[in-house]
Amino acid sequence: MRILISGFGTVGQGFAQILQLRHDFLTKRYGSAPQVVAVMDSQTVAADPHGLDLAALLARKQATHRVGEQTYTDSVAVLDSIDYDLLVEVSPTNIKTGGVGLINITHALNQGKDVITVNKGPLALKFSGLIELARKNGCKFRFEGSVGGAMPIINLCHENLVGEHISSIRGIFNGTCNYILSKMDKGQPFEQALKEAQQMGYAETDPSNDIEGFDSAAKAVILANSVFHRNVSISDVQITGISAISADAVTLAASHNMVIRLIAEISDTKLEVSPRLVPMGHPLSIGGTLNVAQIDADLAGPITITGRGAGKIETASAILSDLIAIMDTRGEKHHA
Amino acid sequence: MMVNAELYVKDLPGQLVGSLEPISMVDGNIVGVVHDREQIINQRIRVSVTFEVASNAQLDKLKAIWKAKDIVISKMGSVYETCTMEYMILGKFNAGYVDNLIDEASNVVSFESVDVSYSSRNGNDSRRTALITAEVRSTEDEDKLDRFFSAACREGGLIYVRGL
Repeated sequence: MRILISGFGTVGQGFAQILQLRHDFLTKRYGSAPQVVAVMDSQTVAADPHGLDLAALLARKQATHRVGEQTYTDSVAVLDSIDYDLLVEVSPTNIKTGGVGLINITHALNQGKDVITVNKGPLALKFSGLIELARKNGCKFRFEGSVGGAMPIINLCHENLVGEHISSIRGIFNGTCNYILSKMDKGQPFEQALKEAQQMGYAETDPSNDIEGFDSAAKAVILANSVFHRNVSISDVQITGISAISADAVTLAASHNMVIRLIAEISDTKLEVSPRLVPMGHPLSIGGTLNVAQIDADLAGPITITGRGAGKIETASAILSDLIAIMDTRGEKHHA
Repeated sequence: MMVNAELYVKDLPGQLVGSLEPISMVDGNIVGVVHDREQIINQRIRVSVTFEVASNAQLDKLKAIWKAKDIVISKMGSVYETCTMEYMILGKFNAGYVDNLIDEASNVVSFESVDVSYSSRNGNDSRRTALITAEVRSTEDEDKLDRFFSAACREGGLIYVRGL
């Protein structure tokens, strides 16, 4: 399996680390570990048809902030110049246009390549088109890490719960908002909690994508399309963020044994992200930066899963699970 | 689901407890019990009990247990479901606005009960927070109420936060 990694930021580097950490496991399972034949960051590319030295790549990126020595301007031209089997698309998310991620994924699928991505933008905007393209060209297209980071929700619904009728999914899919609301539970005002989230590196300098609910909405769209087989995009989501939630409101909720959490609700008829009143002790009242989801299935009943919604290694672990699933179904030699 | 039942149990020691235990066995919640020793029919005394169970399936299970224990169900009525929902409203409004809102809402659904609490914050800031706890008889009413509050808050430029 020859892999091309598009994007060498936090998640891309995390995936390279995981490939090193799991080298022996993958070698034992498949006879030989997958090879990374090319890596692109925003400006440069490193390529070797015999497989790149991942430790050296990580060291170079650390030292020079560049992954390769060769610069490029057209990512599609780079994709065309490399002989690869699988694209791992982890470039920065753009939920307005899909950004370079959408271009790369579309091109790779058009060329008959398998794709793994955690990039929410292309999925939130063009889900149905990409799925159809993958189907038409016989490609594997997986995106577990795009929702809930390390928390296995998409593959859980598609694989373990495949015989169930899932009536709804409700969950917390943005750790930044949950961190802020948890801090407000303890008496901090919104502005202070946001500033602390920014200092801790949980929130961006411009936090609007998180606190206005757009990030959660993108994930809700991915779940609506992939689990409920709907055909929706981010403009179909009814979104209310948390910026108007006052300390006053949090205190009033607490006096009734409730907390306020930003909940995404997805079903055949609902597609919504909004602050909700959650009874203390309810699985969705979880605090801190964790993500949580409650899946209502007709046979299994409610299933609650929780995990780290972001993080370098955590998100990359979801890519590893997708990689193994693809290698298994592609009939890679299985030694386990 | 709230249920009122009239039972006849044998007039023997332990029979009253024996008739109530099955309610707990189906995870029900006893709200009230009247043990009427003046109503003895066929050496059985009357027990009126009001309890909550989560579903019809649990109620059927309970009826089967009572039947197996030779407890006679003479009446089972006033069976209705209640749904409790919380709604929080944030923004610039006064108590009269919320009263009017609830009056208007009562034209849309039948309330079992409504309770409103306000944040204790005072001073120059005209923004306030109200928490409305409403009990209605069906999930359909709950949906109607949800749509009503959502539309009213959108129209009034208020932030609306509802329960799960």
